Amino acid sequence: MKLRDAPIQRKLMSVILLTCLTVLVLMVSAYIILEYYSFRKAAQNNVLTLGRVLASNSSAALAFDSPKDANEILNALKANPHIVEACLYDIDGEIFAKYPVNAPSGNFPSAIQFEGYRFDKGYISGFNAVMQEDKKLGTLYLKSDMEEMYAQLRHYGLIGLLLIAGSLILAYMLSKILQKSISEPILALEQTARIISEQHDYSVRATAHGKDEVGALTNAFNHMLTQIHDQNQEIISFNQNLELKVNERTQALQQQKDFVETIINSSVDLVAVFDNDLNYIMLNKRADDYYEKKRENILGKNILEVFPEIKDSPMLRDLKKALNGEAVYDAKYKSPVLNRSFENYYIPLKDKDEKIYGVLTLGHDITNIMEANEKLETVNTELLKSNRDLEQFAYVASHDLQEPLRKIQTFTQLMGDSFYDEEKQKNYHKKIAQAASRMQNLIQDVLNFSRISKTEEAFVDIDLNKILENLKNDFELIIREKEAVINHPVLPVIKGIPLQLSQLFSNIISNALKYNEKKPVINISLEKLSAEEIKKNLKLSENVSYIKIKFSDNGIGFEPQFSEQIFNIFQRLHGKQTYSGTGIGLAICKKIVENHHGIIYAYSEPNIGATFTVILPSQRNTTL
Amino acid sequence: MSHLLCGQNKTAPEYQVKAVFLYNFTQFIEWPPSSFKEPDDPFIIGIIGDDPFGSYLDETVAGERFGTHPIKIQRYNDVKNISNCQILYISSDDVETTKKILSAVSGKGVLTVSDVPNFYKWGGTVRFFTENNKIRLQINVDLSKAEELDISSKLLNVAKTN
Repeated sequence: MKLRDAPIQRKLMSVILLTCLTVLVLMVSAYIILEYYSFRKAAQNNVLTLGRVLASNSSAALAFDSPKDANEILNALKANPHIVEACLYDIDGEIFAKYPVNAPSGNFPSAIQFEGYRFDKGYISGFNAVMQEDKKLGTLYLKSDMEEMYAQLRHYGLIGLLLIAGSLILAYMLSKILQKSISEPILALEQTARIISEQHDYSVRATAHGKDEVGALTNAFNHMLTQIHDQNQEIISFNQNLELKVNERTQALQQQKDFVETIINSSVDLVAVFDNDLNYIMLNKRADDYYEKKRENILGKNILEVFPEIKDSPMLRDLKKALNGEAVYDAKYKSPVLNRSFENYYIPLKDKDEKIYGVLTLGHDITNIMEANEKLETVNTELLKSNRDLEQFAYVASHDLQEPLRKIQTFTQLMGDSFYDEEKQKNYHKKIAQAASRMQNLIQDVLNFSRISKTEEAFVDIDLNKILENLKNDFELIIREKEAVINHPVLPVIKGIPLQLSQLFSNIISNALKYNEKKPVINISLEKLSAEEIKKNLKLSENVSYIKIKFSDNGIGFEPQFSEQIFNIFQRLHGKQTYSGTGIGLAICKKIVENHHGIIYAYSEPNIGATFTVILPSQRNTTL
Repeated sequence: MSHLLCGQNKTAPEYQVKAVFLYNFTQFIEWPPSSFKEPDDPFIIGIIGDDPFGSYLDETVAGERFGTHPIKIQRYNDVKNISNCQILYISSDDVETTKKILSAVSGKGVLTVSDVPNFYKWGGTVRFFTENNKIRLQINVDLSKAEELDISSKLLNVAKTN
């Protein structure tokens, strides 16, 4: 642990002990160093003194050339175990005597290098001049080890260490007791502070132990606690008030929010809010009825991520417009996602700084209204047409029906005028009978026409070949009389009303037989209507397949400009005298084909022939 | 002692050593104050009889002093000629001659020196002798005391005494 983070007690003790240790070590070191130098000096002096004594003693031996005596003198050095070597040089510098006696001469300095004693590699060595009176007789060399000094130093070192250890132990014990006067008030203060911070009890007070800085700190701390306590009380009561208010507000807001949410979710319209990046922020419950994806999977995501289909739709364009601040209304939006139509509102949402932060989108489903409208329009068109037909019918009927009636009136009057002329009477009677018969035919045809109801009678499978066979039987007499030929392929089975289809074929074929001066040749052809042809004709539905049956004859034909008129009721192109007929047949044909959701048209050139084309829905599995 | 040999071919090596010894006595022996009347009186090393040292002794003591006294060499042919000298080398080996010389200087504080083996018996103070090729000394301590010569114990240590 770093000292910085250590408890204050340890810190104090560390400081004290470190100080003690430093002082002690410095003192002991200084003492030992001092001792070292004084020992050195003393050792040097000892050797020097010894050298002087020896030199003095050996002067006579040198003077009177007595190496034996000199050796004896040197041999006395045995008494001092620290002298390792010694020798005497005569006045010429030759070795005169040695200690130990048998030491090889090579051990000793070959020449006298200096006067005095020096320290060299753990030894003290040096030279003394051997003088008698003031006369130099030779030189003494001495070499002493410093074991004595080292031993002494070791001794002092040991004492020093013991002193340090003892002092430290004493210092430790003393500081352990004495530091309490500083650390205990601080620890007590810290303890109080911890209790307060852990239990949040600001009523606790620290006890001041004295009038020193810690005491002052404790008093300041207590004062601070009082302030905190008071402020806390204020804050708590303020908080309680605030909490109450917040709760009230929250409740009110929640109510308001629930209210708004209920309204939005109850809306029959789709309501969505996007942010500036077109991510869904809000989507009302109606979305669940429309989208397959769940609302929680849509919210937060970008509209293009959720519905990539709208990429090129007007909706994206309008959303962007709205983000630029323009409220957009799209009266008729066809959703590529839902295949339904909507009336859409895009309303920019602005914050209080008038900055746009999103778009509110309202989508009102108008699919059903539009469908109803379309139906209404269709019915209306049909009504108008039927009205027109009725008007025409009334006009034509009154005109055509009045014509035989006027005849009957005229001939009845003439009969009255020539009451006695039997011949004339017979003739008039015949005319009246003819007119009445014609009137009856007219009325019968009108009835037939009006009977072709639009009511969806049950459509059944009809084999068109059978219808054609039956017709051939019906027209057997006239076919034989006129030597007529009818060519036809095998016709399909289709859904339809049997009587109506029979009448359609009957009317067309009877016209072809009737309006013909030659031997009639009737060619019936069959083909499947191609998709392009279906597309070209607006009255046909693209989802249905159709067959096209062509009836071509070699009859008298008609001018092409009449190709539409001929389908109107009571429209006759020829005099009654030339061709019998009521002028209702093709009108009936048209009505029947329309009943079967098909179309009929004609093309002709006079004296060449006419072609009637009938297009009818085929059964899906019809084979041609 | 090699430098002392330079230019000396007449004197035998043995006497060169002895010449130096003679000089060295001046350093290990104290003569009584009565030996000198004046501070600059010479310290005389005398030689009686034949002189075996040649000029070597003169050269050895040249410029040397005993305290304040310059050391001089005196050669004597006759006992009568012996004046105030402090060291006297007696070269004669004749007992009568020697005894006569000794008695002449007795009580005058003179250190008598000789090579003669019986010199000690005859009443001389210091005798040179050879032992293991070394020149050694024999000193008659009683006599030297009688002559008031204070011989350093160091000198006595290296000499044979009785």
